[in-house]
Amino acid sequence: MGVRSALLRYAARRPTVLAVALPGGTASRLAVEAELCRRGLPAADTPADADLLVVCGVPTHRDLPWLDRLGAAVPSPASRVVVPAAGRAADLLDTATSLLGTAPLAYRPAPSDDGEPETARRGDDRDGLRLDRLRLTLGPALPDWPAGLVLRLTLQGDLVQTAETDTRCAVGRVVLPAGRAPFWDEPALNAASGGSFVTRGQVARRCCAAHLDSAARLLAVTGCDTLAARCRRSRDTVLAGAPSARIVGELRATTRRVARSRTVRRALAGVGPLPRRRARAAGVTGPALVADGDSHDRLLVWMAEVERFGADLDDPRAPETGGGASGPRGVLDPARPPSAALLGVLPGLLAGVDFAAARIIVASLDPDLDELTSSPDRPETPHG
Amino acid sequence: MAEAAPLWAAVVLPFALAAAACCAASVDALLAASARCGPARGARDAVSRAATPLRATVRLFARRPRRTTAADTALTRLGAAVVPVAAVLACAVLPWGFTSVTDPTVGVVWFNAMEALAWAGVWLVGWGPNSTLSMIGGYRFLAQGLAYELPHMFALTTAALGAESLRVGDVVAAQSGLWFVVWMPVAFVVYLLSALGMSFWGPFGHPLGRDIASGVAVELGGVDRLLLLGGRWMLLVTTAGFSVPLFLGGGHGPLLPAWAWTLLKTGAVLALLVTARRVLPTARMDRYLEPAWMVLIPLTLAQALFVAVAVLDR
Repeated sequence: MGVRSALLRYAARRPTVLAVALPGGTASRLAVEAELCRRGLPAADTPADADLLVVCGVPTHRDLPWLDRLGAAVPSPASRVVVPAAGRAADLLDTATSLLGTAPLAYRPAPSDDGEPETARRGDDRDGLRLDRLRLTLGPALPDWPAGLVLRLTLQGDLVQTAETDTRCAVGRVVLPAGRAPFWDEPALNAASGGSFVTRGQVARRCCAAHLDSAARLLAVTGCDTLAARCRRSRDTVLAGAPSARIVGELRATTRRVARSRTVRRALAGVGPLPRRRARAAGVTGPALVADGDSHDRLLVWMAEVERFGADLDDPRAPETGGGASGPRGVLDPARPPSAALLGVLPGLLAGVDFAAARIIVASLDPDLDELTSSPDRPETPHG
Repeated sequence: MAEAAPLWAAVVLPFALAAAACCAASVDALLAASARCGPARGARDAVSRAATPLRATVRLFARRPRRTTAADTALTRLGAAVVPVAAVLACAVLPWGFTSVTDPTVGVVWFNAMEALAWAGVWLVGWGPNSTLSMIGGYRFLAQGLAYELPHMFALTTAALGAESLRVGDVVAAQSGLWFVVWMPVAFVVYLLSALGMSFWGPFGHPLGRDIASGVAVELGGVDRLLLLGGRWMLLVTTAGFSVPLFLGGGHGPLLPAWAWTLLKTGAVLALLVTARRVLPTARMDRYLEPAWMVLIPLTLAQALFVAVAVLDR
């Protein structure tokens, strides 16, 4: 055992990290991602490969069952840490890493899931084949996945037959501290309510970073790792408050590369078409409505907006009032947040596509479930 | 006809292949880290980034494998172990200069058979754990095999046709004057594409895609994971190395000794593939199958026809 513990201690100095975001934990997720990058720690795609499970956000009693299942799926020796707020990311990661290296290396067998084997009745698929129907629950923890979203799919092979969204993880969750709006919408909401003085530049900066974050996810799910990494780096630079003059060139280079990439177009064209009429009927606003087309069109709208916002990151004027506040996902209607409408169109778009396309569609709409949470002084949003 | 290497070469081969795979993985890790976190901050940082695969190896050795409910553990483990074994066995017919561990009369067929073995390995790993995501990865791998295997076999056939022999030594000897890549460029390019497909890596990494949480490998931990992912790198090195005797003249070349030419050419092909990964996104088979069958198969057939006519005309 001496050799094994020595090897484990060596490996524990640079653990592979599985980061899981909870609704309302966006700021903390961004801080953790930046911190992992700074330390050069590898990211795990699956619990089977993780040494360290990092939960970004504040768990509630409803999260505990699935967080426990996820933790049990991480083979020991491993450690878990909850990063409740962005400011705590660095020191909590330090603590968790040092615990990994020194914790007693108990040799307990890795537990197995307690689910029954996943087969169900057979049915005809779209090609008239009789295949087993598999029930698959996607989320709440998956790489490049909207925090807190759960999708229940019926699959045949890798074709999605039916899909339903389950937002119980986010709806009704009370996010503390009081007064915290969803991270991406915060400046826009503050500007609209007039509670605290916000400049146009602050609103533009947050929206710009939000689109870069969404685009990075979409590109990562599509398999364009290099472009995805580039978008993430730009996102972190924008959020760090870099002056517009210094960053506008980099942003333009990034958006043009993404928009002009033929391979990206080939991968995304025709996936998840959402015509304007259908989008409007479902109450969708923002980029998904403007795009009036497929996943690639939605990506192009994000890129165009990133470039537009990138030019006024430092605009000191007060925001225009009237017409309601507009966040990165659309018009911030307190009765029905824009992401609720996006979630509403999701099942219809997913039926009949293959699994890879389903992931692309989810990422191209990128609903922000933080918008469905509530805070003690915000009215609880109705379930959309 | 290549000379047979001494017996100890057979013992050294797996270790040499693993070391080469580790070097290739290190270069890839360097590129990936600079894409993700920007350029390295000094030499120490660069060394630490390059050591990522080594660290991962140590880590996976020390960690325990994971078990899932109702899994066929034996099948999964067998599948993961088959991948590096297939890579080593395929490497046995690869000439180092003009010397290979073994040079059977059907070396090209042997190489292709080992690829089929790796196929079985990946599919078993996808099937074994009784997990939906890993099975989707397995399905993807089968679809991918359908897409690339036929053009790949025609590319191999073309090289054998040019040498009028299935013995790898003869294929190298036939290129003492003119390398095959010069008059079989299509077959060479298709071979490189299918080499990526065969090692299910880079643009053909969809079976282990991030969208299915690393797919085939989703339930693998510890040594099983190391065997599959390390075996993947070994397959990549083997397929890249095999393009040298097939199309790039093997050990033929001026000034340098034969082994150095083999090393140089293999390194160049590997560098090309590792860089290609940064440029090319992952191909989804629902989008790639059609061009593979409608474009690549006719092209490789035309290439084979051209070579056949040229050989008849000698």
